[in-house]
Amino acid sequence: MSSQPILRIEDLRTYFHSRVKQAFVRSVDGVDLEVAQGETLGVVGESGSGKSVTMLSAMGLVSAQPGIVTGRVVFDDGTPRELLEGLGRHVALERRDGRIMGVEKDERGWRAQAERNLTGVRGRRIAMIFQNPKAAMNPFETIGRQIAETVRLHTGVKTAHEARERAIHWLGEVRIDSPRLRYDNHPHGLSGGMCQRAMIAMALAAEPRLLIADEPTTGLDATIQARIVDLLAELRERLGMTMVLISHDIGVIVRLSDRVAVMYGGRVMESGPAAEVLTEGGGGHPYTQALLASIPQERNLREKGRLPAIEGEVLDTINVPRGCRFRERCQRIHDSVRARCEEHEPELAEVSPGRRVRCWLYQA
Amino acid sequence: MEPMDSPLLEVRNLSKHFSQRGGLFAALARERGTGVIPAVDDVSFDLHANETLGLVGESGCGKTTTGKAILKLMPVTAGRIRYAGRDITVLSQEEFRPLRREIQMIFQDLDAALNPKMRIESVLREAVLLCEPTLASGALQARIYELLELVNLKKNKLSSFPSELSGGEKRRIGIARALAMRPRLIVADEPTSALDVSIQAQVINLLRDLQSQLGLSYLFISHDLQLVELVSHRVAVMYLGRIVEMGPAERVAHAPRHPYTAVLWSSLVEKMSREGAASSVAPSAWGVFDFERPTEGCRFAPRCPVYAARGRPAQCTDASQAPRLAAADGGAHVVACHFPLPAQAGPG
Amino acid sequence: MTTRYSQAQERVSEYSQLSAWSTARRADRWRVLYGAAVAVLVLVSYALGALHWLPRDPEAMDLQAMLLGPIEQGYLLGTDFMGRDILTRLILGIQAYFLPGLLSIAIALTLGALLGVLAGYRGGRAEMGVTYLSNLVDSMPRLVLMLLVIAAFKPGIYTIMAVVGLTTAPTVATLVKGKVLMLKARNFIESAVALGVPPRAIVFRHILWYNCRTLLLIQATLGMAEAVLIETSLSYLGFGVQEPTPSWGNMVQAGANYLLQGNLWVSSAPALAILATVLGFHLLGDGLNNMFEGGQRR
Repeated sequence: MSSQPILRIEDLRTYFHSRVKQAFVRSVDGVDLEVAQGETLGVVGESGSGKSVTMLSAMGLVSAQPGIVTGRVVFDDGTPRELLEGLGRHVALERRDGRIMGVEKDERGWRAQAERNLTGVRGRRIAMIFQNPKAAMNPFETIGRQIAETVRLHTGVKTAHEARERAIHWLGEVRIDSPRLRYDNHPHGLSGGMCQRAMIAMALAAEPRLLIADEPTTGLDATIQARIVDLLAELRERLGMTMVLISHDIGVIVRLSDRVAVMYGGRVMESGPAAEVLTEGGGGHPYTQALLASIPQERNLREKGRLPAIEGEVLDTINVPRGCRFRERCQRIHDSVRARCEEHEPELAEVSPGRRVRCWLYQA
Repeated sequence: MEPMDSPLLEVRNLSKHFSQRGGLFAALARERGTGVIPAVDDVSFDLHANETLGLVGESGCGKTTTGKAILKLMPVTAGRIRYAGRDITVLSQEEFRPLRREIQMIFQDLDAALNPKMRIESVLREAVLLCEPTLASGALQARIYELLELVNLKKNKLSSFPSELSGGEKRRIGIARALAMRPRLIVADEPTSALDVSIQAQVINLLRDLQSQLGLSYLFISHDLQLVELVSHRVAVMYLGRIVEMGPAERVAHAPRHPYTAVLWSSLVEKMSREGAASSVAPSAWGVFDFERPTEGCRFAPRCPVYAARGRPAQCTDASQAPRLAAADGGAHVVACHFPLPAQAGPG
Repeated sequence: MTTRYSQAQERVSEYSQLSAWSTARRADRWRVLYGAAVAVLVLVSYALGALHWLPRDPEAMDLQAMLLGPIEQGYLLGTDFMGRDILTRLILGIQAYFLPGLLSIAIALTLGALLGVLAGYRGGRAEMGVTYLSNLVDSMPRLVLMLLVIAAFKPGIYTIMAVVGLTTAPTVATLVKGKVLMLKARNFIESAVALGVPPRAIVFRHILWYNCRTLLLIQATLGMAEAVLIETSLSYLGFGVQEPTPSWGNMVQAGANYLLQGNLWVSSAPALAILATVLGFHLLGDGLNNMFEGGQRR
């Protein structure tokens, strides 16, 4: 197993310009992530945390205008590839206090360069599945043919017959009943859960090295969610898949991830082994801990007590405050760290092997 | 003044049928031969003052339709709804309007419940004036501020449009608007949906505080059994238009008698546990069958692990023996099943 | 092609709901400005005419100063073939169409809004009726209809404008109906019902006032443009206002005889006035439409 991470993201920033507000929405504001071969990285966060946009930016799926993306995204499946290479040539940034305050952007050049970088990678070596499977698939084509098309495009398979057989194979892999019959179904003829399985089949049919799943269970019924999570767990084990799983549902993340990154307001607040980070009382970032405490679970159910809610609103990524992003809602601020929390944003520092927290409480 | 133990809301044999031509439900229509979808089918329950009744089920089970039927937002096909002893099913819209004050709804859809062109101030003003039309402007302002405070919103939100508010704030305005009418009963339709996890807890706490402060009753509709168990006194579980189990919240959640409730609960737990399927109900029994074809008799039979385990007994699919809600030891806990799960020792 | 994006300020204020004006395209702003200028000019001129605060006597004939061009001998817009001041007559000409135009607008909007709401909210036969009526009216050329009415009944300008209003109502109704149908799909009408808002308030306040008023305003501008065209066309043909009372239409007609003599101005002045005014109202409506109704998606 290679010691190089299969995907490494360094200081990724994605800013969108809002014409209405005449300001930048700092969706991703300096994110560092690593995914090792064969592991599943869970990315947790609420709305505005930038978890989806991070991956979309890395895949070049952020629409060129008016977003700007800076940073490094290295995809290494044997041959290292920089996915954001050359994009810098088409933008001129104006920085002030480490924040970007103005951009001059050559749209067409940008888009052309992004396409150049990602051909051969997107869909083939890195596959993505999304929330709302019915919307992601072509409503006019049968699911079987869509999968077969993926097979023809991204693997060495030449003949239509072989592509069809492979497609049926993948439909079976995702545990769809009667794959031969389902081959001829259109997306609207399938339930939400089935469609999601079909989308997973389509992603896997390209035999990618990395699978990115963006909220794969959101929007599905509770019982169906459990089944999809089972499927992903099974596929992970059987195929040794490397996966990035994005979700706001901590239960799903806990079940499937080896390591986890918790995002808030466009930055990673904490990262480390899933079991450690996502345990209450595990001594981690105040945001993670507060989030875990506020979810209705066995503990507070039994006592029928008040849910310890995090006060305040989720961070508005247009007005990012000085110092720590979470400080306005943090319950664990006390006098000895207050000054630092208000002035300087902490670094993501290592508190134990493999575990990093962005908080002054853990740094000297 | 009605006696203490008479329920605030009595729903008896409520049915709401939609006629549908073609589409996904053609299969059902053909089977029934009438082209009708029984979205709500013979539903009965009581709701008392100061009580929260949770209505749980997955999408399509008819819980939202039930809620809207209670508010007379759609005509009822059959059944009776009695509010404070008065039969409201026979009332016309005009006759019912004065009663609307007391029965309010918190809508699932955050955006569509507020007129996008109205500022929040106008929204609340309209509601308050509807309830108390003779209020002078000073008292009117005071009442609006009072409502904002009840839902923990800052005064500067008054001049905003709905589009400027976050999801949690919109939900809270929806609650404030309902409260402006000084209701006794609130139908809360998925009050935590589309909200961030950290905001959900805030809204739940708010609803509970309001209940104790103002003596409200809630019909709490949700698909999340854990959440419902947390906030409800009693819970009713719905499946494809019928109530399959109803009883005290802890019992229904922790010692369910109906196989569907057990499946619902275990899938929530399973999702979270790293060990995976360690539940008492065998998941493989119903594999990937998730496209419902409602059948005669018990509607859950095709997905029911107990049905499969018992070798598909004919009783379950017999139209004349559709399972009815019956007490399963301990009168308050009822279940509609031919083979209910064995009773367990409840939580302490 | 490089685009520049920049942050206007360090901290963005909480009320960043910018008005439709500030986010409008420059082209739309010009349209609205021009149209508004025309509208104001018309209004002011109408007032001047009604109060008879005119620069000169419209019927005073200065036979020494006939067929003068603009800014000659102190006549700002020249004189016509009888030595009458063109500017004064233009101002007075507005009387011919202004109030009647308002009448037609009032009828069209009131009737149209009511029918539209009825059709959209209730649906069923009301909707069918409105659609049928709408198609019927649309299939008739407006001016021909006017001429037929005139030939048959010889009515005054107010009656004519009332008929114009009646025939515009179905168009307005269709637009309002469309808006109502779109709104019905959004739950806020259902939630207003749930609150206990009386149906009348739902229709007039929630639907018409909050959501249809820009639509109706735009229809009003178009209605005025239409009124100008119809009145001037009729008086050009000799059916409307008669000499010596000035109307832009009969001014064009009278001046037409002098075109061949090379005196273009007598006919052109009122014609340009018609053009500028109709264009103004149309552009106003167009600009407002783009600003407010251009598919509101933030």
